[in-house]
Amino acid sequence: MIKLQRSVLNAVEAAKDRTELYPWLQKAIELEHSTIPPYLAALFSLKPGANDEIARLIRSIVIEEMLHLTIASNILIAIGGRPQINSSSFIPQYPGPLPMAIGGAGFTVGIEPFSKPLVQNVFMVIEEPEHPIPVQVLARAEVPDFATIGEFYSALKAKLAQFGDAIFTVAPDQQVLQWFPASVLFPITSVTSASNGIDIIVDQGEGTSTDPFQSPGNPAHFYKFGEIFYGRRIVQTATGFAYAGAPVAFDPAGVYPMMPNPKIHYFEAGTQARTRMVAFSYAYSSLLNALHAAFNGRPGQINTAISLMYELRLIAVSLMQTPVGDGSNLTAGPSYEYIDAVQAAIA
Amino acid sequence: MSYLDTPRLHFTGQFQADVSTINNEVTLYDINTFRPEDQTLTTDGTRGGWNPEGTGIFRLIGCRVTGARLGDRQITTWQEDAVIGTALENADDRVFGKLVDLDPQQQMVSEIWGMRLRLTDGSTRALFAGDFRPAAFTNLWRRQQRAVFLDQTLAAVFQSVLEGVSWDLDSAAGEGNARSAVLEALRQASAEGRLSININVYGYGRDPAIPRYTLGRVAGTIGPYLAGEPRHFVLGRQMVSGTPAASPVAPYGGVYSFQCKVHEDRRVVTADFGNCLPIRDASGAFDPNTSPPLTLAVLKAESSSLLSTVAADDVAVLGELNYLRRGWYAATAGVQDFDYSADSWCVSHITTRPLALLTPLAADNSSYAVLVSETLGGWYARADGFVARLEPGAMAPFDVYATRYGKPVSTLVKFSSNLGPMGGPPPEPEVGTPAAAIAYPAELKTDAQGKTVLCVTARADGPGNPRGYIDGQLYGIGYQPAEQSAQAFVNFWNLISILAFDRFEVPTQPTWNAHVRPILQQYGNLYPIMSKHLVALGDYSSVVTHLDILKLAFAQPLEDPNHMPVTRDLSAGKRAMILRWMEQRGPDGLPLRGDLGPPGAAVAAAERAAVVVDLDPMQRRSKTEALLKFAARRAGEEAR
Repeated sequence: MIKLQRSVLNAVEAAKDRTELYPWLQKAIELEHSTIPPYLAALFSLKPGANDEIARLIRSIVIEEMLHLTIASNILIAIGGRPQINSSSFIPQYPGPLPMAIGGAGFTVGIEPFSKPLVQNVFMVIEEPEHPIPVQVLARAEVPDFATIGEFYSALKAKLAQFGDAIFTVAPDQQVLQWFPASVLFPITSVTSASNGIDIIVDQGEGTSTDPFQSPGNPAHFYKFGEIFYGRRIVQTATGFAYAGAPVAFDPAGVYPMMPNPKIHYFEAGTQARTRMVAFSYAYSSLLNALHAAFNGRPGQINTAISLMYELRLIAVSLMQTPVGDGSNLTAGPSYEYIDAVQAAIA
Repeated sequence: MSYLDTPRLHFTGQFQADVSTINNEVTLYDINTFRPEDQTLTTDGTRGGWNPEGTGIFRLIGCRVTGARLGDRQITTWQEDAVIGTALENADDRVFGKLVDLDPQQQMVSEIWGMRLRLTDGSTRALFAGDFRPAAFTNLWRRQQRAVFLDQTLAAVFQSVLEGVSWDLDSAAGEGNARSAVLEALRQASAEGRLSININVYGYGRDPAIPRYTLGRVAGTIGPYLAGEPRHFVLGRQMVSGTPAASPVAPYGGVYSFQCKVHEDRRVVTADFGNCLPIRDASGAFDPNTSPPLTLAVLKAESSSLLSTVAADDVAVLGELNYLRRGWYAATAGVQDFDYSADSWCVSHITTRPLALLTPLAADNSSYAVLVSETLGGWYARADGFVARLEPGAMAPFDVYATRYGKPVSTLVKFSSNLGPMGGPPPEPEVGTPAAAIAYPAELKTDAQGKTVLCVTARADGPGNPRGYIDGQLYGIGYQPAEQSAQAFVNFWNLISILAFDRFEVPTQPTWNAHVRPILQQYGNLYPIMSKHLVALGDYSSVVTHLDILKLAFAQPLEDPNHMPVTRDLSAGKRAMILRWMEQRGPDGLPLRGDLGPPGAAVAAAERAAVVVDLDPMQRRSKTEALLKFAARRAGEEAR
């Protein structure tokens, strides 16, 4: 299901020096970021006190996506590149394709409230492993024969190995190394450490080819979404794995009826919905600005970025409860629009 | 120099103050009587109030530079200067600023913390940017005459300094972009990285059903600032309105207190009417039907008593206020210059005679009613900063200035207890006791620059937890020049507000149950935006799951926009205790849980006694309620 243009792999494999890997590592950063807004929107749409287990699972996935973004950025920094994070082109169009047309032609990702179809048709597609392990309840026979995210990262690994340790020229003091355990976020200084970092990205997302768990009790993203969709934790059985563990309850009433894919310009100036959506996008843009600073020579700014992530969560609370005002029961939601200096001056 | 000098720019737009409302009621600080329903949004003055899930965010919205002044030139169009139309924006790389009350029993000195502002023209990220030095509003008064349901009809003004100002005027001056002479001049006039800023706020909506919910309007001015000057008022002419003893927000003359600056070198008076003129409704419009012509004048003779009327012969008119002209307020934020160079009497007397704001009593302007006049004898004292949080054993310095007709003067200033609007009738805890918990001199003499420093010290053992379920105690200190006549109107808001924290011994091994939970539970009750959506602050497992972010937030200095608690009402001792608790780990690798307190310690929820004052639902849980309680207390004092 996870299709990736074969041309991407070809380009990675054709890279002649480290600078030709920069755009592909930048794409990796954009890819790791691209799933965060839709996952967060689904998370924010869950009412407090309802669907807490689902919220916990999605939150754990989002945090790992942030780790992946950080690892990919650190690798790019380590070989002399500069992550570009604070621009509107960094953010995918929602709804629209993911970076590098991940998922294939016609696969689009939007900003929507939580629903089981969203989990199955979008989130599980995004996270589908290169070689999914058959899990009981699931009936999956064929194995796709096209390029995958896993292959993309494998190609990057192979190229880094080919170029060797000599390309890791930038000191780790330029890298962001806070907020995650050293076992998963470590300085990138060599082919080995870069490969280990990439393995973490792939394993947390997909699991290994033989085990849906990235660590004991902690399934990879695809299987966590499977748990949410099938309403049961994944467990090992005599014959393999099954969604047959503890229930993961879903209460459809515990979801704010957020308008899918809201945009600021849908709402008139002066409306509560617009005011709150602008506040969210403004804080989100500030977050990208702070991350950009953190990944471009000021790693300490990661603390500011973390604070902004929490403020986004707080702003989303009222946003998700603000009626869109068209007589429907729909509420506003986050639009993740980058508000730069120009837009701020004309908004 | 200040925002009443030139060059200056004026901006208008909106603000959002997403304040939380549960903490407007002091009794809800009691964790033993708090009920879950106290977090419910209500618009009838009960329970959680009109915004129980407020975040505390304070931010500007859509603010544009809509006027400027360069020398004697008023500028209102982009063609005249490129500064017009630029946007005054919030910082774009950190969290928004926050609006914070000092205490539930002193909500009349709300402060902006952690706000960074920048001016952008759409191509340059920040023509200038600077940190708003935390400041409380003052001159709170009932400026808005008509209201819709739940409108906050009180208006107020913040004056402060932008600090650490950085400039980038060069990248804007590229092709096709005119250079702003105003900004160039402002940069040169403010060489020390500081700017003076004044922000009038009004028209604040509180009804969740209207688009203006949590929004209000701003009109403000930014001008030069030099080191050593007062930051929160202008060393100039102080016009103080008379107000009834029990109602400091309703001036007798219908116009509130304001400040002016006489520029003797240029023979110009600059007056700030930005917060003193009544507005019809939340739009900020002046009502032509009820707005009389207004005249700024100099009284020809000093008077030993305040005048209510004057004859035309007794005044030298400086000029008419332009406030009814279309676009005046946006173009000036209410700041108007009056050139008196042609009036030789004014030239020689303006520095020794009182200014007054007048309105004609007769069509021929033969006599005037005096709406507001300068303080009697020109005497004035003012504490520059006037809000402090005081740790046990610590000292808080307050710069106090004395002036006469706007000029610094060496004179005696007297200090005494003045609780102003603080506190309320039972069941609210008493404020200001024990008086001996803080100490300060009864009088001080200002130096030749008109300045002295009032040092307020807290005794080492603190106030002793006189309010029980809420930390610390409130104190107020009033001040007045000794020379000032007893008849003089004194600005009601000219008092120092102090929250003196309880002494807290940091235990060597703090535990969740004994020490941390009671504190975090209170925050959890008061701020459901945190406890329902991020961290259940009263729940051990939730808190330990979020230790890293909590540690980051609790460890930030007060000035940091990320500081936790947002309300900045946690004493240093208790903060140190919480941080220590987070650091120390038990055998399970987690912070210590500790034993539960003795059973039965929790008191059953008591029926709350009714407040003494009679409030209609719109008035509860708000600054209005505090004012009515104040009025009731005044009435009680007079009855005794």
